[in-house]
Amino acid sequence: MAITSSKDTAISFGFLSPFLLFFGVFLIFPIFYSFYLSFFGSPTDYSLANLDFVGLANYFRIATDMQFWWSLGVTALYGLMSIPLGISASLALALLLDNKLFGKSFFRSAFFLPNVLDMLVVGVIWTLIYAPKFGALAQITTWLFSDDNFFNTTGLLGSPMTALLAVVIAMVLKGAGFGMVLFLAALQNIPEAVYEAADIDGATEWQKFKHITVPLLRPIITFMVITGVIGSLNAFTEIYAMTSGGPQVVIGGETVGSTSVAGYYLFKQFDAGNYGYAAAISYMLLIITLGITWLQQRFLNREDGKEVRK
Amino acid sequence: MSSDNANILEHHDRHTVKAQRVALFIILVGIMISLSYVISNQLFKFAVMAFSAYVTPESEKAVAEAGQLMQSMTVVYNGLAVVLTIVLTIFVVRKFLATEHVNRMAFIRRMTLYLALTIGVVVVLFPFFWMLCTAFKPSGQELVISKTNPFDIVPSEPTLDNFRRVLKVDAASKSMASVDAIEQKKNFGTYFLNSLLVATTAAFLVTFFAAMGAYVFSKKQLPYKQQIFMLLLATMMIPGMMFMVPQFFMVCKMGLFGTKWAMFLPHLASVFGIFMLKQFMDTIPDSLLEAAQIDGASEWQVFTVVIVPLALPIIMTLFLLTFLFHWSNFLWQLIVTNFENPLSITLPVGLALFRGQYTSELGLIMSASCFSIVPIAVLFLFAQRYFIAGMTQGAVKE
Repeated sequence: MAITSSKDTAISFGFLSPFLLFFGVFLIFPIFYSFYLSFFGSPTDYSLANLDFVGLANYFRIATDMQFWWSLGVTALYGLMSIPLGISASLALALLLDNKLFGKSFFRSAFFLPNVLDMLVVGVIWTLIYAPKFGALAQITTWLFSDDNFFNTTGLLGSPMTALLAVVIAMVLKGAGFGMVLFLAALQNIPEAVYEAADIDGATEWQKFKHITVPLLRPIITFMVITGVIGSLNAFTEIYAMTSGGPQVVIGGETVGSTSVAGYYLFKQFDAGNYGYAAAISYMLLIITLGITWLQQRFLNREDGKEVRK
Repeated sequence: MSSDNANILEHHDRHTVKAQRVALFIILVGIMISLSYVISNQLFKFAVMAFSAYVTPESEKAVAEAGQLMQSMTVVYNGLAVVLTIVLTIFVVRKFLATEHVNRMAFIRRMTLYLALTIGVVVVLFPFFWMLCTAFKPSGQELVISKTNPFDIVPSEPTLDNFRRVLKVDAASKSMASVDAIEQKKNFGTYFLNSLLVATTAAFLVTFFAAMGAYVFSKKQLPYKQQIFMLLLATMMIPGMMFMVPQFFMVCKMGLFGTKWAMFLPHLASVFGIFMLKQFMDTIPDSLLEAAQIDGASEWQVFTVVIVPLALPIIMTLFLLTFLFHWSNFLWQLIVTNFENPLSITLPVGLALFRGQYTSELGLIMSASCFSIVPIAVLFLFAQRYFIAGMTQGAVKE
């Protein structure tokens, strides 16, 4: 099978063509098409036909658009909260489950289950749990303390200080099972002999965790950081379902949404019919993503000496 | 003299340690009993509640009747919970007493582990249990909670009205049916079928295309094969959000806006799928393919008779994961939905629309949510092996 003939090539191409067709049309072409669209203005009537050519105006607008830069900041904050919290929660669950246990597969499935459920629905349920006055959290805190507690009057989603954290908590609880399974698989690959050797040398539990477990879990942590970054840039549904970008705060004369992440801001612009501007924003986000990916490739992978996705 | 002293001290120490262990154990048993009773009581009560709501025919007094039925079965679910808790307690205490003194600390540690895991499961799954319970609460009663025990969240007077209303099979909707056929079609039965159709078609096509593509990347010759593969992998790094605007324009220009085709057409090329299947196909020995070719199998037969059956588990996994992706692909489905046409509304979009209309009707929103959550949870129960294996595929391969 080593000799490449034109017939082989034709057959290979035949097998690959349905995939390549959709790949080219819907994944490669849009990268260029988006760039093209970013030079056009926004129709006043939501029509797609009569877009005016505006040159670089959209990009100039981005440079001075406080809302956009704010949303990037919120996205960064979202990532900075959800990635470490997500990794810690998954690792904690994995360490708990990495024992000989009766009913281990039950616990594993139970923690994993929320992962497969629809993000929007989970977001809606959590909104109602957090809701002041009638939410589950408000009811429990009212019973424990009094009517006049924060969860009952404002609710976690009602205050700009806590809204983003509340979204993060809901999403960490939804997603923890995924990381847990990854960590669990890696933990079970660590040979018992390594720990025994450390025991002989008189290592404490903490030392064993820090110097054996964590380094061996590094590829998984790298993977979770990469997917976490992409997840933060993609974050939309959870924000749409839980806060709609709010609650609003006024900073320096500009009203901004305290949970308005970049993905949500992009959707807002798109929804308002600012198609050209939305295309320009997606291009900016694409460039930022590529920059972050490049940084990650350089720093995270050099430390491990191996690629996670390979 | 001094050695005597040491002995007494040691003896004394051992006593306090023993007492501490027993005290710790008693505290843990206390926590266990309360957890076990609350959880089992709520689960049994839920079963009784669902049964009562189901058997009570639709009528004006249905809520009260179902409540009475539940009342009459209070003994059953409370009794079952008590029996279960007692059995569990006896089992644990006997096990503790049978454990030698030196091993008791380890026993206590294990018990703490189980309790921590149980609390974890409760925290993670509580939202969904709460959803199920609220879905059975009669309209206007969602806010009423038991003043004595906020952990008693299963309603005492259940009803199926919420489900009837989201399916539009209740009396009010029926009388309206003749007036407005389109409005009547906007119910969660329709949305469910739409989602099912979209997700199944997409999953089938994606899996089919990805299997053929992965076969080429794994086993066949193609000029620039490596370069093409790297290009595929590179696109995986781009957040999907970036494709929203151009893909929307393309779909609209193709005249597909508001159709079911628009829901999945742009997502038919799954790079993740190619990657996952190729990883697996690389482990199939070439000699098998050569043997088939010597036997006179055509290229297509090699693929369908040798490759596909061998890779079937991983193909199943990809099918399920793709199904799931399209079941929850909210943003894209939202922007290409034509809200005038009930046949193009899928579950997540339907829920978002519905929530806007009935902001304060918790019971309705929760029963609508069930249409998305419950089928997937059941599917997960039966196929969890595929889900867990597949979702972790890309990561653990080093």
